[in-house]
Amino acid sequence: MSPADDGVLVRAAAEGDQAAWDALVKRFGGLVWSIARAHRLSAADAADVSQTAWLRLVENLGRLRDPDRVGAWLATTSRNECLRIIRRSGRQVPTDLDLDTVEPTAIQAPPVDAGLLAGERDEALWQAFSAISERCQRLLRLLIADPPPSYEEIGDLLEMPLGSIGPTRARCLEHLRRKAGITTASGGSE
Amino acid sequence: MAENQQHPDEADARLLDDLRSVVQRADPVPAPVEAAARATFIWRTVDAELAELAYDSLLDADRLAGVRGDDGPRVLTFEGPEFSVEVEVAEEGSGRRLVGQLVPPAPARIEVRHSGGLLRLGADEVGRFATGGVAAGPVSLRCHVAGADGPPLDTAWVTV
Repeated sequence: MSPADDGVLVRAAAEGDQAAWDALVKRFGGLVWSIARAHRLSAADAADVSQTAWLRLVENLGRLRDPDRVGAWLATTSRNECLRIIRRSGRQVPTDLDLDTVEPTAIQAPPVDAGLLAGERDEALWQAFSAISERCQRLLRLLIADPPPSYEEIGDLLEMPLGSIGPTRARCLEHLRRKAGITTASGGSE
Repeated sequence: MAENQQHPDEADARLLDDLRSVVQRADPVPAPVEAAARATFIWRTVDAELAELAYDSLLDADRLAGVRGDDGPRVLTFEGPEFSVEVEVAEEGSGRRLVGQLVPPAPARIEVRHSGGLLRLGADEVGRFATGGVAAGPVSLRCHVAGADGPPLDTAWVTV
C-alpha cells in the first residue's frame, strides 16, 4: 500500500466509511503499539496511548493537512502521548547519553505465551532485546515497525540527528548481538 | 548462529528481520486494543469544533525544571476558535476529578466522554464546572455553550 492509498483511506473514513477506518487500524495499529512499547510503557499504559492516538485521529480525520502522511501523524501523536504518560509517572525520558546503558536485570522481558517463540534463538533474541538500553530498544522498535517510518521521521520521533541514526543502529545491533550470544567467536553473552 | 562470514550490512539487515519476526510474535497488538481502536470510530463527529490542547503542565519545561512548583494538579488548556477550556486534573482513587473553566466565562452543558462512558454536567454562569468519577484513560469534553448557535466544542482527546 502506498501513501496515496493511505490518503484515500483517511478521506473515506472522514466521510464516514467504517471499513476504511478499520483498514487504517489494521495498517497502523502495529506502528502505534510499537511506539508505545518502545517507550517501555506497561500494557495498560500502551493501551491508553493507542486509544488516545486513534481518538485523536477520529477527531482530526477531516483536518489532517496531509492525509497521505497519516502514518507519520499517528507516530508523532503516539509519541507525544507516551511522553505525557512517562512524565506523569515521574520517569526520566532517556537521552542520547544512555545509549550504551545496560538495563538493570530487575527489568525482565515481558513474559511470552508458550509457543509464540519457536526455538532458543528466538527466545534469546527476545530476552536480549529486553536487556539492551531503552534508547536502543526505541530505535530498533521503530526500525522494525510495519510500516517502517522513514529515517527522517525516526529522527523527529527520537530527537536524533539524521546522520547519527545509521551509526546508532549499527551500535544497537551490536549490543543486541552480544546480549543474544550471536557473536563472531566465543558466543558468551554476559 | 554464525554470521561472521556475511557483509556487516547484510548481517544487520538479517538481524533486524529476525528481530521483527520475534517481536511481532512476542508482543503483538492485543486483540482488545485493536478492537478498541476500531471502535473509536463511533466518536467521529462532523459538526463539532475542535479545541486543541495548547498547554499541558506535564510538558511544561519550567515546571519540569523545578522553576515552578510541581505539586499542584495537572493543568490542561484547550483552545478553540471562540472559547478556551481550562481543566485541572486531580487523582481521585483510581479515577480522576476534573475542575474546569470556560473562557470567556459562559454557562454550558458539558459531556465528559471517557472510557467509563458519558458524564453530563453543567458549567455555571461564570463557566465553572467540576466532576468526579472520570475514569483514568482517554477523555474529551463536549461543550454546548448556552445561547450559541454554532456547533459544539470538543476538546482534543488526552489521557488523564
